[in-house]
Formats: sequence, C-alpha cells, structure tokens
Amino acid sequence: MPDHTANPSIEELREAFHAQLSSASTDQALKGLNDAFLSRKSGSVTALLKSLATMPPETRREFGQRVNTLKAEIESALDARRASLEATRQPAGAVDVTLPGRAIPAGRVHPLMRVRQQVEDIFARMGYEILEGPEVEDDFHNFEALNMPPDHPARDMQDTLYLGVPIAGGTWGAHTGRVPDAQVRAATLLRTHTSAMQIRYMKTFPPPVRIIVPGRVYRRDNLDLSHTPMFQQFEGLVVGEGVTLADLRGTFEAMLRELFGDVQVRLRPSFFPYTEPSAEIDISCKSCRGAGCGTCKHTGWIEILGSGMVHPAVFEAVGYDPERVTGFAFGMGMERVAMLKYGVDDIRLFYENDLRFLEQFPL
Amino acid sequence: MKVLLSWLREFVDVPGSAEDIARAMSVRGFAVESVEEVGTEDAVLDFEVTANRPDCMSTVGMAREIATAFGLPLKARADVAPPAPAATADIDIVLEDELCPRYVGQVADVTVGASPDWMQARLQACGIRPISNIVDITNYVLLELGQPMHAFDLATIRGGQIRVRKARAGERLKTLDGQARTLSADMLVIADAADAIAVAGVMGGADSEVSPGTTAIVLESAYFNPLSVRRTSKALGLKTEASMRFERGADPHMPAVAMSRAIELLETIRAGRPRSGALDRVRAFKFEPTSLTLRRAKIEGLLGAAVPDEDVERILSSLGFSLVRVDGGWRIAVPPRRVDVVREVDLIEEVARHYGFDRLPVTFPALAAAGRGIDPRISRARQLRSALTGAGFSEAVTFGFIAEAAAAPFAAEGDVVPIANPLSETFAVLRPSALPGLVDAVAHNRRREQRDVRLFEIGARFSRAEGERRALACAWTGNAAPEHWSGSGREVDFFDIKAVVERVCEVAGVAVETVPHEARWLAPGRSATALVKGTPVAMLGQLARGITDAHGLPDDPVYVADIDLDALERAGAGRDLRVEPLPRYPSVTRDISVLVDVTVPSAALRSTIREAAPATLVRVVEFDRYQGKGIPEGKVSISLRLIFRSSDRTLTDAEVQEAMDAVLRALRDRHAAVQR
Repeated sequence: MPDHTANPSIEELREAFHAQLSSASTDQALKGLNDAFLSRKSGSVTALLKSLATMPPETRREFGQRVNTLKAEIESALDARRASLEATRQPAGAVDVTLPGRAIPAGRVHPLMRVRQQVEDIFARMGYEILEGPEVEDDFHNFEALNMPPDHPARDMQDTLYLGVPIAGGTWGAHTGRVPDAQVRAATLLRTHTSAMQIRYMKTFPPPVRIIVPGRVYRRDNLDLSHTPMFQQFEGLVVGEGVTLADLRGTFEAMLRELFGDVQVRLRPSFFPYTEPSAEIDISCKSCRGAGCGTCKHTGWIEILGSGMVHPAVFEAVGYDPERVTGFAFGMGMERVAMLKYGVDDIRLFYENDLRFLEQFPL
Repeated sequence: MKVLLSWLREFVDVPGSAEDIARAMSVRGFAVESVEEVGTEDAVLDFEVTANRPDCMSTVGMAREIATAFGLPLKARADVAPPAPAATADIDIVLEDELCPRYVGQVADVTVGASPDWMQARLQACGIRPISNIVDITNYVLLELGQPMHAFDLATIRGGQIRVRKARAGERLKTLDGQARTLSADMLVIADAADAIAVAGVMGGADSEVSPGTTAIVLESAYFNPLSVRRTSKALGLKTEASMRFERGADPHMPAVAMSRAIELLETIRAGRPRSGALDRVRAFKFEPTSLTLRRAKIEGLLGAAVPDEDVERILSSLGFSLVRVDGGWRIAVPPRRVDVVREVDLIEEVARHYGFDRLPVTFPALAAAGRGIDPRISRARQLRSALTGAGFSEAVTFGFIAEAAAAPFAAEGDVVPIANPLSETFAVLRPSALPGLVDAVAHNRRREQRDVRLFEIGARFSRAEGERRALACAWTGNAAPEHWSGSGREVDFFDIKAVVERVCEVAGVAVETVPHEARWLAPGRSATALVKGTPVAMLGQLARGITDAHGLPDDPVYVADIDLDALERAGAGRDLRVEPLPRYPSVTRDISVLVDVTVPSAALRSTIREAAPATLVRVVEFDRYQGKGIPEGKVSISLRLIFRSSDRTLTDAEVQEAMDAVLRALRDRHAAVQR
C-alpha cells in the first residue's frame, strides 16, 4: 500500500494552486506555477499521477479521474490567466492616451463679426453687393441728402459727434474698378448711421442698386446696459423699377427666419425722414413664444430693424427719378441681433473684449 | 403721449379694452409704451408719437387715428366752433414778426383756486401736476386738443399791450422755472409795452405768472414758427410740452378752437368769465389747405398691392382729408394740422398704415442686373480674421475714440483729430491706431486672471494729415507656446510677432523685409518696421514700458504690431496667381557656420550669399545662432543652410562646391566672416 498521507491530498493541491494563482500577475509567476504543479519531473500533480501505479485497482480508477480533473482545471486556469495577462500588456512604444494633447492655438472671431458675416452671407446669396464706407462723414451725406436739412427735428433722434478739425474720409468701392465720388467735402462728423453710404453709392452708380453696407456708427450716447457711443450697423438699399413695400416684406421674412430660425415677422409703420412709408420690423419673441415676457416688454414682439421705401426727396438729392424708380432701405444694429441670438443682456460685453466672454463662442 | 381711455371716449365710441386699442394702434404707427389701469374702469395708454406727427400729441389727435382704425366716426365735439373775433378788447395785441403768424388773446376775470377733482385727476393720469384752476385749464386744453396755451396775470402787463417781437440782444427774462435767462436777438418773445414776459412757444415769465391773488388774466393761444421755437428751445436748453409741439408744427387752425374750449372750461368749472370777445390777430398767414394728387397706380407701384378705392377713400376721409375723384386717382386737400403730408408718398403711407402692412403680399425684388459682388477689402478682412484666429488671436472690437493721453504716443505731434463735443475725456479724440484700445483690452484681461492674451482688431484709424485709413492691430502677451506636460512653455518674443506680421503679409500676397525702426511707443532695440518693396506697411515690436505702465499692465513684455491695410492692399495689388512647374531634379543642401560681429544683421549675410551664389541657389536660411562659451566676445556664430537646385539638370558636386567657395569668399570679404 502506498502511503497516501505522504502526498498532499487533491483538495489541498487545488486550494494551494488557486491561492498562488491569485497572486501570480507576471509571465514568470505563471511559469513557476506551471512547473510547481504540472512539470514532468517535479510537478506535484504529476507526482500524484505517478503514484497511481502503486494504488490498488479499486481506488485507482476513481482517484485517477479526480487527479486528471484537477490537472485539466489547473491547465485551463493557467491558460485563462495567461490570456488575460496578454490582453493587458502594453505594446512597445505605448503612450498614455489620457494625457492632454498639445493645444493648437485658436482664437475666436468677435461675436459681432460672427453676426456680421452671417448676415453678409445671407444677403450675398440674395444677390446683394457688399461694401464698406467711410466712418467719418460730412453733413450732406449723413443728413442733408437723407431728407434731414439743418434744424430738422429728426436730427435729435441721432445725437451727433463732430470733429474738431475736418479731415479726409476713408475711400470706398475699390472693387468697382475706380475710387468713386472723391472726397470733395472734408469729413466733419462721425457718421450716425450707415445710411450715408446710400447717398455715396447712388450718386456714383445708376440704378438698379442692391447693396449691403456693414460698419461702425457713432452717437453721443453714454455707456449703459443697452447703449454704447459706437455700435455696428447694416445698411441695405434696393432700388429699381417696380421695387415695392411687399418686396421689403418678403426679403425680411426670408432673411430674419434664416438668421433667427422659426420666428414670425411683422412690419409696423414708423417714421424715418429718409423713407416713406417707413416700417419697423419686429420678430416674434422666442423666449416667450409670443405670450409676453421681459425680453419683449410683454408685447410678444421684438423690434429688430428700421426700414422703409426710399423717400423721393432722397432720390432727388442723388439725381434719380422718383417717377421711374422706387426702392427700399433698411438699417439693422448688429449688437441687437447678437444680444438676441446669444442671450447677451449687457451690450458693454461686446466692447470689453474679455477672453472669458469671447471664448464662449465656437471656432 | 399719455391718453386717458375715458377722455378718449368723449371723442370716439371705441369698444374693447385698452389692450385691444394698444394692439390695433401699434401696427398703425403708434407703438404703446405702457397701459396702466386707473381705478377699476379707466386706463392710460402711453403712445409713442413719432416726430412727424405733432397732430397726434393730443387726445383728439389720437382719437382721430383710433376712429379710423376701428371704422368709427369722430364725435362732433372734437371741433368746437371758433369764437367770434371781438370788435373791442381790453388789451391790444401787436404781431411784429412773421415768426408768429397768428395769436388769439382773450381777457378774462378769474378767481384763482384749485380746479375740480375730475380735472385734477385727468391731468394727473396724463402725467401733469395740477397747479391752479387757470393753469390746469391751459394744460387740459393742451392734452385734449394739442394746443399749448398760456395765461398771463393781466395786472402785470404794462401798457395794455401784448407785443410779439424778437428779443433785444441780451434782454433778460426770469422764466417760470425760476431761471434768469439771457435772450438773443433771434429769439421770439411775448412782451408787454416794456419788456419780454414770455419766451414765445417755450415758457412763460415768472413775473407775469398767475398767482393766488390774480383777478384777471390774458389767455394766449397762438401759432409760432416751428424752426424758431426749435432753435430757441435748443439755445436755452429748455424743452417743454409747448416747445415740443410748436417745433414739430402745430395746427394753425387750432388757436381759436382751443381758446373757445378754454373759455368753455373756465365757465364750466366757475373759475371765471371772459371779458368781451377774443382777439384773433393774423399776420401773413395762409389758411388754404395743401392740395395733392394721389394716383391709383402709384399706390400699387409703391406698396406692391392694389388697395380698393373704397378703402383709400374711407381711410383718408376718416383722417380728415377731403377727396375729389379725378382721372386715375384723387385730388386731395390736406388738413393744415397734417404737417407731415406734403407729397403723394405721404398719402400712400396713410393708406398703407390703415390698410394694414400685414395685408401686403410677400414678394421678392426682381434682380435686374448682376451685382458687383463683395468689396475685396471685406473678403480680405475675412481671410485675415481666419489666419489670425488660426494663430491663436481672438478678435477684439474697441471704440473709435480714445483719451487724448492714450492717443498721443501713437501719433505725430499735432496729428490727432479731436472730437468737438466729446461725451467725456475718455472719448476725446479719434484713435490714431487701434493699439491703445487693444492694449486696454489686454490690461482688462490681465486684471481678470488671463495671463496669456492674444488679440487683434481690424478697423479704421484717423489722422489730420492722412484722414481715415484702415489698419490691423495685434497684441500678444504671455505664452508663445502654452505650458504642456511634455516640456515647459515659452514666453512670446519679437520673432513671434514678426511671424504674425509675415503671415498677414502672406495673406495679402506680398513678401516683407523687417528693418530696425524706433518709435515712441516701442521699446528701443526691439522695434521695427516691415517693408514691402521699400514701402512701410507695418510697425512692430515690444511695447514701450511707458505705454504698458500707462495702461496698468505688469512688467511682462507685450508685443504688438500695427499694420496699414491700405498700404498692404496697394502693395499686393495687380498680382496674377500662376503656378510654377514642380522641380524635376534633386536639390543639394550645404550647411555652413560662420563667426561674425554681433552687429552684422542676418539679412546682410543672406543678401551677400544671394549675390555671390549662382542662380541655382534656391533657398538660404539660418538654422542656428550661438553666442557664449567658445565664441569670442562681440562675435556670434551663425549657421546657414543653403539649398541649390537647377531646373534643367542634376547639379554636380563640383559646381556646388564652386558656389560655396564663392559664398564663403564673399562673406569673408564683406563681413569679415570666419568659417567655423
């Protein structure tokens, strides 16, 4: 009879194996484990199998099966551990992909310029010419030709900043192949609206006209939540035979829906000296969907731009025949659009150029 | 214009609530600022009346608009019969100047006291403080009919005379607000036989004011020239309910009507009785209404919709115009109160307002000719914006006017353009450069924990000598390369801002060279100008310490560039984009290191090399610069890489060597360069 007590029991071996396996986390350790239990020469399981030969036949068969089961169990456990170790191993040259990347420098376009580019694009698609004009102007182009003779009460609507000395205004219209309307008059004031370019353009080119003029304008306003002494405007002018108020309506229904998404658009009679009839254009309030809230002063509508049919006196001032052509003009503040679009409630943010503000706008 | 609903209903039986009226009128040209309830039954509507509609600065004026909007008649009481001119009066009225073409005066015996509660309540609801029964009546008429009136204490009027005349130069008058005012000779005044007793159409005088002891008054109801009132009101800095109406244009028919109404009220509230009749003095005054033609085709031509004749007639006659049908349209008489209606388009606007802008079709203007496209400077600004944001610069927009002290270092002596009427010292002059504003923005960010700041701005700058020009300004402080775990960051230096200028020039399609150039606003030794074919297009460098201090910036260097976009555009004009064939033969690269005096500019070495080398030299670039250990004091080692290539053959070693020998000889001869 062999002395079975001289060998560890099957259960003891199983326990010993699993205990050692749980702490074996390298290839080396797994190989050691394999050798300790399964090596041909010194493996403890191999030793048990060898001991079978000396067993009585009645127990040999049953004992043999149990040892073989343990052997298979150990082999498969080792295989599984080897596979899982293999799976976690980093390939040569591996990097920690969770470390921060090297930042590619990226500045932001100013939100007012974002709005400007968007509006330019919309009108460019509608076939408009886009150009800039001088920021310093003379009284004729800024007021007189726009049906605002000296002492006109409407001049009070736009408190003007005057220059201490007259200077030459900027050039415009280089793309037209010549520099038109040379600065005959020296500039004496900061333009109060981009409408001055209506006059320069019409005095230089015959109808038809279809232009957009974005740019800075200046008023003698104090800085507060909704006013700045300088702001950005869009001027638009369409002149031709048969241009109507209905065309103005159609143009802005399309344009404002593209700019603001799903909004309603309405025209409301108003007064500007250089248009007749004149209309304010409103969009339905998006924050309350027309129910009335603080944003829309409880009217359901938000005033977005001023417009109207070009006053015949303006056509007369530039030498167009008001019996032959009609047209519409409009002016829109970019700050107002940007404030509404982006939920900005203090206009001064646009002029502080705080990077924490600018960087909120996407690239 | 505040209108009380119950008062309004004395003129038009308008149904519905104040909100209904507000909604209807806001789409007819009268935006409603607010609707306030008064008690349980009444409300005040605050209408925004545009500057062209003085006729609507009254309850009856708004009633006429509301009647038209709702298709209702205006009640007859709106037009009180004018008083019969008196044969005799207790006072004489003399109109000495055409600036007052009509003056109705009436003497009345009065008992001054408080006006009745209902009158006080109405005035208060409309924002006017009750004062006494006499003054309240004039204000009541003002609100009801839009005619400014004034009451003088008869006892204070010397010589039994009201004279409407120009003020004597330097004539003094204490106005009702207690201010002593010095008048000028172009101002119209009401005077007695001796002195001015009121500024015509603007404000009465304190000395002729109705007081509790007053027993007789002269009531004034007149028409004054709008321009004259406007100029006087502006010159005196005195804006009143009266001046606002007169300067926009009052109704020349109203003085007599208003006087009747005032007398009626005087008797109704038992404040007094008229003494004899009113005096209605007229001087050079035209009573005929303007006559205009309205063409049917023009209505459709301007609005894009044909408005039915019956709508045209209903709207215009309800507003008080009289119409006669003529071929193709109407002949229309304009009531004199409608100072805004002087041409056919003005009539079309009236029709359109009440017909409804919302009933117009939605159409697009036909494109009769191709447009001229986009101004290339707008396209260029977009390209620059995209190049600079790609280089980490955010776009700033700063004001076109700045403080004089901030502007001075950036302009030649006396070249700054001042603003004649600045809001404040902060906005006193036009900017000679966008940099001062941009540097302020940098400082703003630095104060808010933003250490690394890159900003640019595209915009106009101004000078006396050159007028308005366009420029691009850039400012950069803090890191050039941001901190990263793989290596530490690097602070911005001159060569970073130089690269920005070069990039901008690349966008414009021109090559620049940079040469030293001092400027007051740049640090000595770190300032330069960038030239395109000899023409300066930009200034760049480190901002002078004095400037950073003035803007409250810390000591870290701020690098800036001021680029003249007009000059850049001229330099890049007329270029055609043509591609060159790609090289077919390999290039040969040779590196050399030479020791030269530190004072030798790198550009000089490059230019010597180019001159000495054959045409096969396609590129020369510095790849190392070293001073320090092993290099003698005052010397610098420069390493240059030269690339040779021919377009028609593979270069041989021998010919490249010959070229290198020539280059080294030239460097030695011209710059005493020693090869290392």
